[in-house]
Amino acid sequence: MATINQAQPIARLSTDTYVKGRSNLQRSLANLRRHRMALIGAGLLVFVIAFVVIGSFIIPEPVSRFNDPARALQPPSAEHPFGTDVIGRDILARVIYGGQVSLFVGVTAVIVQMLVGTVIGVAAGYLGGFVDSLLMRFAEAMLSIPQLFLALIALRIFSDPTEFPDFFLFGRQYSATMIVIVFVIGLTSWMRVARIVRSVVLSVKEQEYVTAARAVGANSLRTVLVHVLPNCFAPLMVSATLGVASAILLEAYLGFLGLGVRAPTPTWGNIMGQANSYLNDWYYWFFPALFIMLTTLGINFLGDGLRDAFDPKSLR
Amino acid sequence: MTAYLVRRLVQSIPLLFIISFVLFAFTNALGDPLAVFAESRQRPSAAEREMMVRRLGLDRPLFEQYLVWLVGNDWMLVDVRGDGSVMEPGTRRGVLRGDLGLSFVTRQPAWTRIEERLPSTLMLMIPAYVITVTLAIAIGVYSATRQYSLFDNLVTGLSFFFFSMPIFFIALITIYIFAIILPRYGFPALPIGGTGDGTLPDLVLHMLMPVFCLVAIQLAGYVRFIRSSMLDVMTQDYIRTAHAKGLSEGKVVQRHAFKNAALPLITLVGLDLPFLLAGAVVTERIFAWPGMGRLFIESFERADIPVMMAILMLLCVMVVVFQLLTDMVYTWFDPRIRY
Repeated sequence: MATINQAQPIARLSTDTYVKGRSNLQRSLANLRRHRMALIGAGLLVFVIAFVVIGSFIIPEPVSRFNDPARALQPPSAEHPFGTDVIGRDILARVIYGGQVSLFVGVTAVIVQMLVGTVIGVAAGYLGGFVDSLLMRFAEAMLSIPQLFLALIALRIFSDPTEFPDFFLFGRQYSATMIVIVFVIGLTSWMRVARIVRSVVLSVKEQEYVTAARAVGANSLRTVLVHVLPNCFAPLMVSATLGVASAILLEAYLGFLGLGVRAPTPTWGNIMGQANSYLNDWYYWFFPALFIMLTTLGINFLGDGLRDAFDPKSLR
Repeated sequence: MTAYLVRRLVQSIPLLFIISFVLFAFTNALGDPLAVFAESRQRPSAAEREMMVRRLGLDRPLFEQYLVWLVGNDWMLVDVRGDGSVMEPGTRRGVLRGDLGLSFVTRQPAWTRIEERLPSTLMLMIPAYVITVTLAIAIGVYSATRQYSLFDNLVTGLSFFFFSMPIFFIALITIYIFAIILPRYGFPALPIGGTGDGTLPDLVLHMLMPVFCLVAIQLAGYVRFIRSSMLDVMTQDYIRTAHAKGLSEGKVVQRHAFKNAALPLITLVGLDLPFLLAGAVVTERIFAWPGMGRLFIESFERADIPVMMAILMLLCVMVVVFQLLTDMVYTWFDPRIRY
């Protein structure tokens, strides 16, 4: 009984205070819904995701591997809407299953990038001093090399193909280079995230509520996780969204150069890499490139919308 | 100002040492550089191979290799056989004395390899960059002064479109149109690969498509940047004052708005210029352009560590130098900044 009596005033208080005014997140989401470009971007993304997900229910996975040299390099037809590739595989099926891998690589690479960037940014901002300057010099050093060069170096260090055998998951065969590429992209793109996190940490760590948290006995880990990090949410959301686009592009560039995910796993990038020598057969390179473009376009629209929505200056 | 510059220079020296050590450690983990000899006609015997490893210092600890890379080994003796029977003086003078080492593949100095490729990369990148920045200023300023007009909306939409385009997509479409489709209707085909037969008109013909693609890709980002920095400036009080004084729109834009909007552009250009030296890996691959991007890929594929290190260090030094230059130019254009 006592607990219910205690709970009621608190509940009433919370409805009084919070229902009229909206939280920052709600306000941001409302802003986002009004942002036309962001809606178009979200629409594009929904289309691409629906394409690779629903497509995989309609066309079974073995179709993307089935090759028949007798029907190599056929232009689009009713039977093969996107045509066939150089060894007679259906390009539509390969774009669907390659798209799943490309999107997976893009999203997981950004998760790696966010984790590494956040840890380094917090360490630099919160600890300060020598650690800060060492980590930030390191980030600066990595930023002064083009990311494709860094990725190539990282790729060679990680991947001795004999050490990474193919693995099976849900009955499908994947090349382990897929996982390698995720880490290569993640570990060569954390620098901007680290800078964002560091600057937010620096700006809030001397504020009273953080001092208060420490004064009531919260340890460093709790202070950072509960009181400091939530401040990074908005800039990190924007950065992560845009990061997925650049991760997908980097995967595509690596695949295009023939240095990305290896066979048997298709990705939009490595389909492009094979198609590079068959310029005359436009359908071979056009469709994977088109889907890369639709995805990055959608993400960039959405990311721009998010930036506007989270920007306190644009709050109305 | 001088004191500030000297301080910046002194600060950048440890940075360069850190970068070079990290890069040295990374590139040396790339695999066996002597693997190239396994494919060559005169395969070295195990003993010869061991001698090569000792001469290159590959058997030494990483930190010692780094020191040799920095200051050379002509002041010490190399134990070629590993038993002290033959002691040769080292031959390298080290990066600090201008010796970037010999390419493992061609046995030429690494710097010679760069000198061969740098001109063709710059021939591609500089025109593309100049066209990009000029066009971006024109389009960005024009569309910012007519915010939300049809032209402005079109520019914003298109810049998103091109910003999201992978460069190989635009390159392949361009090639398909100008080298495959149009020739079918009797138009002359544009050449797709290489730098031509050495004459200037032929070179320009070969440059058309790659330069177009580079401009198309880079333009979008610059247009968005200039447009937004113009829009920021256009709402300032001094612009309203200039209008109130009765200045014509053109004068307000040229004399008052653009000059201030161009300040952040200086920083952007200063940060981007050194990366022109790196070339464009994908564009160079598609158009078979013998530039720095391809040199890097080639040296990467054959674990040619000295050439890779030379390219990477050239880039890092240029990034540091251009940051300093940008700071200097910035103070010159913006007298409010004092050091």
